[in-house]
Amino acid sequence: MRLIATSCGTYYHIETLEGPRYAACFDEIIRPEEIGLRLEPGDCLFVPCRSPAQRMIPQAPAIARHLALGGTVIAMGESGSETWLPGLRFTPRPTNWWWWLEAGADLGVQIENRHHPLMAGLEKQDVTWHLHGHFDPPEGCEVLLRDRDGLALLYIDEVSTPGRILVTSLDPVYHHGSHFMPATTRFLDRFLPNLRRWLG
Amino acid sequence: MDVIWLNCGAEPLSPVIPTHPRVRVVDQFRLTAGDLGAVSGLVSGTLLDQDAMLVLRPALEAFLDRGGRWFFNGHFLRPMIAGIKPFRPIRQPRRADLSQTRLAPHPIFAGIEIAQLETNKGVAGFYGRGCNPLPEGAIPVTGLGEALVPVDWVWARPGGGRVFSHAGNDLDQLGREWNLGPLLQGRIIDWAGGGPCLCA
Repeated sequence: MRLIATSCGTYYHIETLEGPRYAACFDEIIRPEEIGLRLEPGDCLFVPCRSPAQRMIPQAPAIARHLALGGTVIAMGESGSETWLPGLRFTPRPTNWWWWLEAGADLGVQIENRHHPLMAGLEKQDVTWHLHGHFDPPEGCEVLLRDRDGLALLYIDEVSTPGRILVTSLDPVYHHGSHFMPATTRFLDRFLPNLRRWLG
Repeated sequence: MDVIWLNCGAEPLSPVIPTHPRVRVVDQFRLTAGDLGAVSGLVSGTLLDQDAMLVLRPALEAFLDRGGRWFFNGHFLRPMIAGIKPFRPIRQPRRADLSQTRLAPHPIFAGIEIAQLETNKGVAGFYGRGCNPLPEGAIPVTGLGEALVPVDWVWARPGGGRVFSHAGNDLDQLGREWNLGPLLQGRIIDWAGGGPCLCA
């Protein structure tokens, strides 16, 4: 399965998607406006974090067609994915960038299923940096990451469409590409190769 | 209105910006060579689509050649104009590597203490984590760490015009504890519109 990433030309998309560390994970990098022209039904579309929603919303019909044909979409955080993907209910929350300053602090992120191929090699500290919000997944979805209150931070939806949607509120592409928050690099070091293997 | 403030994201702009008498807010997707030909100042943020800007390189250089000023926030990763080089991060920065030194008295920072910008509620790194390497003849304005990594610089191009590079999070979004946003926005607009700068 080809892994096709969209890039909005931001410095963090360029750095993460094209930089030597992860470039080999992606088969092709396209602009959001090319989704309808370049995506094939068997492809996996990877929309990196902090893709401006106003560039993704016009692509919603093309993305919906892709899912209707059984395609896969990976939607990373802070891209307003609830505005261009079906079946998403997202609740934003103010980001606490300073939680870790307290002695003994624990953001409380939990890996729900350590045996899932996408979570291979990931430890709690690799999925912990800060939170932007949570999802209320449709019934039948598989949740892989939860916050301390059990709310979904990353889940897989194979019930809302004939295709497959993986959505998260985490934003590792932005922070790795910004050279900020080493946990995000640790996360991508595992998650992207896991994703390639999982997609087959 | 002689300054374009480029809108590249979904979040609403601070009210100072669209109401400023010198500012025309332009969505990046609608920016044309004609727009650049009609103004003397340009402000772009960290969500800049550098691929789209690369296509406008001739117009951007002509804008600068006429004496235009470009305030750039973020990491240069595309050769949008001649003379700039790709962002260089500070590897594994410690707190001391992010301490700031004022290297030149730029009017944008007049009366603003380093401590007001250096950290965000005690956490360093939001300001910047490296530099866009100095073009030949550029004047460093702010340095990071013992090595005085030039996170801010201003460049009077040999061919004309000036570029201010702030290689970090959007400058006007910093100093929130002291509500510096409106002040910084006004000063950035004034500078982009031809206001006081360092001596050439």
